[in-house]
Amino acid sequence: MKKAIYYINQFFGQIGGEASADYEPEIREGVLGPGLLLSNLLDPDIEVTHTIICGDNYFASNEEKAIDKILHDLEDHYFDVFVAGPAFNAGRYGFACGAICQAVQERFGVPAITSMYEENPAVPIYRDQIYIFSGGNSAAHMRKDLPVVANFMKRTMNGEEHLSAKEEGYFPRGVRLETFHKPPVISAERAVDMLLKKLNGDEYETEIPMPSLKGVPPAEPISDLSQSKIAIVTSGGIVPDGNPDGIQSASATKWGQYDISGLNELMQGEWQTIHGGFDPSAANENPNVIVPLDVLREYDREGKIGEIHNDIYTTVGTGTTEAEATRMGGEISEDLKKSGVDAVILTST
Amino acid sequence: MKLEIGNFHVQDIVFGEQTFYEHGILSINKREALSEIYEDEKITYADLVIARPGESKRIVPVKEAVEPRCKVSNGSLYPGTIHPIGTLGEGRTHALRGSCVLAVGNKWGGFQDGLIDMSGLGAEQTVFSQTLNICLVAETNETFEQDQQQKKNKALRFACMRLAEYLGKSVKNMTPEDIEEYHSQPVTKRNEEVQKLPSVVYVLQVQSQMIEDGYNSLLYGWDTSHLLPTLLHPNELLDGAIVSGSFMPSSSKISTYHHANNATVKALMREHGETINFLGVIVSNLNVKMAHKKRSAKLVRQLAKSLGADGAIICEEGYGNPDTDFIKVIEELEDAEIQTVGMTNECTGRDGRSQPFVDLSTKATALVSTGNVSQVLHLEPMETVIGDLESLARDGNSGGWDGSVKEDGSIVMENNGIFGADANAGNHYKTVVEF
Repeated sequence: MKKAIYYINQFFGQIGGEASADYEPEIREGVLGPGLLLSNLLDPDIEVTHTIICGDNYFASNEEKAIDKILHDLEDHYFDVFVAGPAFNAGRYGFACGAICQAVQERFGVPAITSMYEENPAVPIYRDQIYIFSGGNSAAHMRKDLPVVANFMKRTMNGEEHLSAKEEGYFPRGVRLETFHKPPVISAERAVDMLLKKLNGDEYETEIPMPSLKGVPPAEPISDLSQSKIAIVTSGGIVPDGNPDGIQSASATKWGQYDISGLNELMQGEWQTIHGGFDPSAANENPNVIVPLDVLREYDREGKIGEIHNDIYTTVGTGTTEAEATRMGGEISEDLKKSGVDAVILTST
Repeated sequence: MKLEIGNFHVQDIVFGEQTFYEHGILSINKREALSEIYEDEKITYADLVIARPGESKRIVPVKEAVEPRCKVSNGSLYPGTIHPIGTLGEGRTHALRGSCVLAVGNKWGGFQDGLIDMSGLGAEQTVFSQTLNICLVAETNETFEQDQQQKKNKALRFACMRLAEYLGKSVKNMTPEDIEEYHSQPVTKRNEEVQKLPSVVYVLQVQSQMIEDGYNSLLYGWDTSHLLPTLLHPNELLDGAIVSGSFMPSSSKISTYHHANNATVKALMREHGETINFLGVIVSNLNVKMAHKKRSAKLVRQLAKSLGADGAIICEEGYGNPDTDFIKVIEELEDAEIQTVGMTNECTGRDGRSQPFVDLSTKATALVSTGNVSQVLHLEPMETVIGDLESLARDGNSGGWDGSVKEDGSIVMENNGIFGADANAGNHYKTVVEF
């Protein structure tokens, strides 16, 4: 039998209403309030061993302290899954459920599940991190919302495969992964069906919603290039011959840093490109077409730039995911900053 | 233009004294088949191995798939490649349905090659686990590219086409078990009822990004990087006008098998005259230079507009950089008030949290997803490996890396390296959803 621990606020924990909203977090053995319903729903697969009660006001005003105390209390107990709420449309309760679920999931590595109304302001903040089930807007929906959560908890604990967020009933967490269409309708049929609907002005649902784009603000321009330290970073896959660090030719997750001090240019045979997305012959013949060290050295000699950083940084861009590129860019930037680099020439292909 | 494809549904394949087909059994005279293969001096070693659905067999590195077929009338298969130039899309073609010839390296895989598991966890990833596969396992003297990550694989791929035709010829003079008919009037000669239906084009963007010859998809034997968007009759595509290229990561690849069995085109032909007026296939390309991307996108739009298209389905054979060509075409067509549906695969990362395409557009309102190239697969060992398992880890496979192959024969890899997995031509029910 698996074990669950349940978080509720002061009202559902039968401490009191708004007047008791400053109730400090405490952990109790067993269940009370909606925990009784939850227990019945989870029986016999999961046992709710403990209940945590915390005032919504206390949590809102002392989030760090509240989380610390609750995590500390939880350390004494073994549990397989954590559940909180439902918070319905209650903003403070929603934030508390979201925050405590995220903290517990991070610390203990167990799935953390809650439920709240789609307009609860906590939804956009926490939906990507934890399972937030779509629930009703008032406590009148308790008897509808809790069974959905309980069912998911049981199936998860039994190791059953999850369906899509939409099918399960929780807010999509921004995780797009493969599945097999049920029933098995091939993509050709789905495409023709979608086109016919679109042509007839009927409603249809795209399989890939276009996400909103997060922009990156550009840095300030260089005031005096002749005083600046310049580094070359490339996603064109230029590496020392033999690719000593085994950087991948597509879907890269690694980057390399290579010393070019004393080199006037990159010589054929000493460097190669491992980029899997274009014809490599030109770059292998003259690696400077991707990492323009030869021209940069000229600029240096002519005094156009202050100096050239000792290292180049390289990875491969083709098929590399946005997430990995962001991480690698961040790591490379750390080194650039440490080395006092003022500006980067970033080459792709 | 009328094309009849006469089907012979293969139930099993065996080796025997003669190459013939009877009652669902394809029998192959291996010696005779191989002697045809060896006619190309570039082939230094060749063997044939059968792999059936459900068997504990892992096939890697797979370079191409071709359906065993023969032209009974009106032309030759794959003109401009294994046969001289001629036209396609009319007359009778016979096909050994349910079977497939795979070109497999005996050694030396590459970025563009793929893996097929005939059973187990990995089988459902690709529809090629469902065909009776005749694996042509071979080595060539193309040593110039032996240690190149990107391989043209020319000898093997062309041998695959020739072997497929050799087998297809076994049913040339027989009566098919059933016949698929693809029949449509020339565009301006269609009757009033059909003209009233919404007009639709299918835009096929094939892999064409390599500069050197020998890697890109071929249209009537012509390198598709050198073409401007052009109109093809659907019958031509279904009859073998396009031969697959050799550099795109394998799950995105549209093999020659799937070009001739393009499920989207078949579905559109079925709807033709009923719900749509299917105008034809616009073959376009995926380019490297921005000017070329724009040129092809704008000419797709001009062609679609001139034809009077109301709607379009766009298929991208690729991911990453080609997403920009895909999105450009969608935007151009939507701007011309042509309703679009795009179908392609995504690259959302192993954790699924990266944006699906390199380029996005709010005008891409209707999209069908065929898979995630980054999907991590942990696959159990198979009893038999056809080909070279180490090629997955050693030769720069797009879905493999150093460490992909474990000592016990189990593997960990990305869907990117599964042969034809995402089937952007529409042939599979694998998709991507949000969790």
